[in-house]
Amino acid sequence: MIALARLLAGILAIAACVLLASPLPAAEDPSPDAALTRLLQEQRTALPGACAQPRLDRLTSILCSGKIRIGVRDYYPLFGTRTGETREGYEIDVARAIAAKLGVDVVFERVNAASRIPMLADDRIDLAIATMGHNTQRDREVRFIRPHYYQSETTLVGARDLAVADWKDVAGRTICVTVGNGSNAELVSRGARLMLFDEAVMLPDRLRDQTCTLAAQDDSFFAFYFTEPGFADRFSQKLGFAQVPWGMAVARTGSERLGRALDLISQIFHRDGVFLDTARANRVGTGFLERQRAVWHQPECNTAAGSTNPACVLPALSAALQPTGLADSVTAFEDWLASSTGIDLLLPMLKTVPAWSLFWSGVVNSLVLVIGTLAATLVLALVLGTALSSRFSLLRWGARGLTITLQSSPIVLTLVIAAAILHAMFTYSSSVALVAAIPALGLSNGANAGQAISEAIVTVRAERAALHMDRIELFSRALGRSATQIVAFLINAAKGTPIASFIGAPELLSALTDITSFSSGRVTTYSLLLIFYTAVVMVVVWACGKFRSFLERSHVPA
Amino acid sequence: MNPLLDRLSSEFLPRFLSGLAVNFEIAGIAIALGLVCGILLAMARVYGGAVGAAAATMIALMRAAPTFVVMFFLLNVIPRNASLFGVPLVLSGVMAVALSLLPYAAAYIADAGVEALQQLRRGSPLGSLLFLPNVTRAFFVLVMSSSAGAAIGVPEGIAIILRQAEQLPSLGDKLALFAVGIVFFGIPLQAGFAVMSLFQRRLSRAVMRNREAASLQRS
Repeated sequence: MIALARLLAGILAIAACVLLASPLPAAEDPSPDAALTRLLQEQRTALPGACAQPRLDRLTSILCSGKIRIGVRDYYPLFGTRTGETREGYEIDVARAIAAKLGVDVVFERVNAASRIPMLADDRIDLAIATMGHNTQRDREVRFIRPHYYQSETTLVGARDLAVADWKDVAGRTICVTVGNGSNAELVSRGARLMLFDEAVMLPDRLRDQTCTLAAQDDSFFAFYFTEPGFADRFSQKLGFAQVPWGMAVARTGSERLGRALDLISQIFHRDGVFLDTARANRVGTGFLERQRAVWHQPECNTAAGSTNPACVLPALSAALQPTGLADSVTAFEDWLASSTGIDLLLPMLKTVPAWSLFWSGVVNSLVLVIGTLAATLVLALVLGTALSSRFSLLRWGARGLTITLQSSPIVLTLVIAAAILHAMFTYSSSVALVAAIPALGLSNGANAGQAISEAIVTVRAERAALHMDRIELFSRALGRSATQIVAFLINAAKGTPIASFIGAPELLSALTDITSFSSGRVTTYSLLLIFYTAVVMVVVWACGKFRSFLERSHVPA
Repeated sequence: MNPLLDRLSSEFLPRFLSGLAVNFEIAGIAIALGLVCGILLAMARVYGGAVGAAAATMIALMRAAPTFVVMFFLLNVIPRNASLFGVPLVLSGVMAVALSLLPYAAAYIADAGVEALQQLRRGSPLGSLLFLPNVTRAFFVLVMSSSAGAAIGVPEGIAIILRQAEQLPSLGDKLALFAVGIVFFGIPLQAGFAVMSLFQRRLSRAVMRNREAASLQRS
């Protein structure tokens, strides 16, 4: 009996051991680490046979060759620089860490902003880690790795003692930017005026020589300059805006498994602080990476599916501007003209809603400005002309002082003074700038025309002293005599209206500068601008000619 | 000490004066180029026929082209890697402003040149000399107009004043600084105009005396 009991106990113990030792159909490890291990194991077990197959996924071909070709920047301080054969920077170290995680060697290929996407598409590189902002437009061209490995923002840099704390301090200021920067539209919408440069590298020098009081560019770009004591002592970051996540990217086709592996590696690197430590080692800003580390530590994100969870990953920046109803027809016309005549005409102002809106309001404001300036010039010429020929010496000398002052002030300075006075009374807006420009231009030209009227009054008065003319007749005859001068200054006033853009008046020059700051077609745009203003001035010349004839005909016997 | 002077950096005055020199440099380049183009246009205009009509159209277009727009047009239309006869054409800020003033300068000089050539044809060389004060007047107008360079970062006088004004906290200080600028621009301008008026008056008197002497001789 006892033996039987021992036998049963032994059988039960063996059964228990067998059960414990046997693999259960247990749940798969949900961690990204396990998912990466499984993916790489699957690929490696298929080697070397899979290497001979056509149309390999790039992950397979990387494992077959033992090398990953990574496109990096050659000169982007702190992120990717090359001195001889030595490369360094945050992106370089990230590239090396990824290669180590995949167990392969890294081969660096030089890319720039223009070549990085074509090189992925042409299979000349497997992966791009090259300061590439992730936006919806690029989503159509490459497959971005999620989560993002960095996030930049546009930063506004200016002299330390310059009081710029928020957006209201930005309105009305001139900011140096690079053409095509996506954040320019935001600056325009905040009432800033833009001074355009082709290359970002020009901006620090223009800040140093005080050509620019403020410059806007990626914080990643300025990060290097702020490591220079001379620069950091003089300048500081005033505002940050337009955050853009930076993504590593692989080709859209043939990189499904590579992309998946990199998603998982990116998750792991955030969770384990690899990105963060690498950034610190390269003196790159770490605010974003610190926040991301906390995100990827959360249980709901730290899973194999974390990179597709919208609660964990950042969305791509929406870069597409809303097209106008005419956009397709305009593009078709541009293509037709280019193919049939070779003329490269680009009309960005007709293709997107923000550009069209700026363009149309620019045309209307320009016409308002021209008409307002002509009216102001005429009225102020009459007032100053009367005052300058007044028999009251106080009034006469006051008017003379004002005339000499206005004649001695360059028009740009007169505009700035008018704008400064109005801005002291009202909050800055483009309408205030427009309102300031009209009397400033009117005064500047009206002073000269007024002087001509007063000189004519003096001569008519001297010639007709014995005729006892009433004041109206005297004035009317003087107007006829000074008609040529009045018309000359009216034309000059119309020609001067585009200068109002200097103080932020939203006329056409200002509008088109804003449009070209975020779109292409500068040559066409500025050619159209020149044609528009020349045509407006010619119409003014024609209208003024009629006006002069009217004034002169009115007093032929005089 | 005057609070404004206290706030102005010690470098302000030398910088402003060198900025003012840039204004004169721009005006000098514009008037030199304007003389070449303007005199050619004036000769073509006086020549008459199709050449004269073409010159008249050209002068009318140049007269109508706004300087500020021409400046932005040049800056944005001339390619960065442009060259002329194999020589790289790098458009500096100073040159961009000077070239933008060229249409005005050339049209003005062409008009004055046509008048001077007609005076010469009428047998009045002294009358044709009125061309000189007209050119000088145009030069001073160009000095004032060259302040448009402030919009593209050219370090001319007004740009220096505006940079300094950004550092001043109150409107009163800014206006005082702007007044300094007006005085510095105004002195050479008013002096130049005064000298030209004097020269023009003397020349006119000489022309009148010449005519009177000629008519006396004829009679």
